[in-house]
Amino acid sequence: MAWQLYAAPMNPILLPTPIAVLADFVALVSDGTLVSALVDSFSELILGFTIAVIVGIGLGVLMGRYHRFEVVFDPYVTFMNATPLVAFIPLLIIWVGIEFPARVIVVFLLSLWPILINTVAGIKNANRGLVEVGTSFGLSEVQLLRWVNLPSAVPYILAGIRNGIAKGIVGMIIGEMDMALAGLGGMVAVFGDSFQTSKLMAVIFCTSIFGVVFVGLLGLIERRWFAWIKETAGSQK
Amino acid sequence: MTEASTVLDIRGISKVYGGRSGHRGVQALESIDLSIREGEFISFVGPSGCGKTTLLKILDGLLPASSGRILFDGRELVGVSREIAYVFQDINLLPWKSVVENVEIGLVGRGQAPVERRRRAMEVLELVGLHGVASHPPYTLSGGMQQRVGVARALAINPRVLLMDEPFGHLDNMTRETLQIEVSKIWHRMRMSVVFVTHDVDEAIFLSDRIAVFDLDPGRIVEVLDVNLPHPRWEIDVPAQPEAIRLRRAIIERLELRKRVLI
Repeated sequence: MAWQLYAAPMNPILLPTPIAVLADFVALVSDGTLVSALVDSFSELILGFTIAVIVGIGLGVLMGRYHRFEVVFDPYVTFMNATPLVAFIPLLIIWVGIEFPARVIVVFLLSLWPILINTVAGIKNANRGLVEVGTSFGLSEVQLLRWVNLPSAVPYILAGIRNGIAKGIVGMIIGEMDMALAGLGGMVAVFGDSFQTSKLMAVIFCTSIFGVVFVGLLGLIERRWFAWIKETAGSQK
Repeated sequence: MTEASTVLDIRGISKVYGGRSGHRGVQALESIDLSIREGEFISFVGPSGCGKTTLLKILDGLLPASSGRILFDGRELVGVSREIAYVFQDINLLPWKSVVENVEIGLVGRGQAPVERRRRAMEVLELVGLHGVASHPPYTLSGGMQQRVGVARALAINPRVLLMDEPFGHLDNMTRETLQIEVSKIWHRMRMSVVFVTHDVDEAIFLSDRIAVFDLDPGRIVEVLDVNLPHPRWEIDVPAQPEAIRLRRAIIERLELRKRVLI
């Protein structure tokens, strides 16, 4: 309401009214451009993010469990995590190009580190009492991982994934703006450069929904399959 | 209990914590010698810090001893044994597994098939009266029920030696008394050797054939007492027996508990 009243007398290039934004949103959906952009963006994000989850958890488990892996990989992880990865984009353009695979790599590179770092922390901070139980009852190395260390790292891993998906969405938009203009990021760049502010805001709004939906989905997964996290929160040592 | 054969032979076990470069470390246990007999119920009693839990964890292979040996059936014990099971003070049930899956954990370690595992786990759950909650998550159970699951988990592997580390320490008095009777009944039925750590003198007298009295600085056994009370104990008023009164006094005097009062 306030936005509508405040924006009504202003130049729509500076601040369009919410009604105008909504109208453009509907128009972009009905002519199909927004939908096809969503499909492009979504496939980049899902592919890059899925690889990040697999690599992040896999490598994270090895690093958390085996000191040798940690010694070898930790300097690189620290280095990459501290580097503003956006600066790698020109390099990636030179190496891989500007098309779909390059954009998937950007998503992967941004979402990997929080997942990896949290997995390592989760594996290392496994409840000592539970590990002792597993050892006492003769679980093998692999069984111990499956029955104790990995499940007890799940709260950490889920937090890492939540963080990773947010970073991945950023990577997706940046990749689409800086590389070949495509998907939602491409639309942001085009509408921004041509001062179509109301359309620009409609697309930005759409990317926000993207993030909210993913985080909501994660919450659903947590409640459905990991109910014990809430029930035992704070009681674990 | 006359001349039963020895199942666990503890020979000169010592444990020093943090003894490194210049530091002398803390002597948690000093040359412990003790033979645990086949089928007996023995309790370790002593003040906190006397190393009774440390000894129990060494027996289970969870902690390495600084020196000394443990013989199981005359053979040196290395690492974790399949014939020894542990009931933990903190219980430590896996919250992401159901009650019955928690009971199966030792059978998983033995590589048993899932069907076989489940059958055996349900059998022991029935023994502790918890087959009705087999599929529940463990955190929905009361403290007493959780420790029953802890006991079932240990019994599932059909151990020859059952190590119990203050299993009822966190429970209220009524639940504790119920569980003492249950453990006593299970022991009568299954006749494995039980090593029971407690700081509750009455609990030790109620349950045991023998009581090893520990003292601290350094942690050591100062006396091993026989409990000459008839079984089954739940049918007699144990604390009122002259033998129980005598033992109680002997242990308290041995530990000079009055001298420990600091204020």
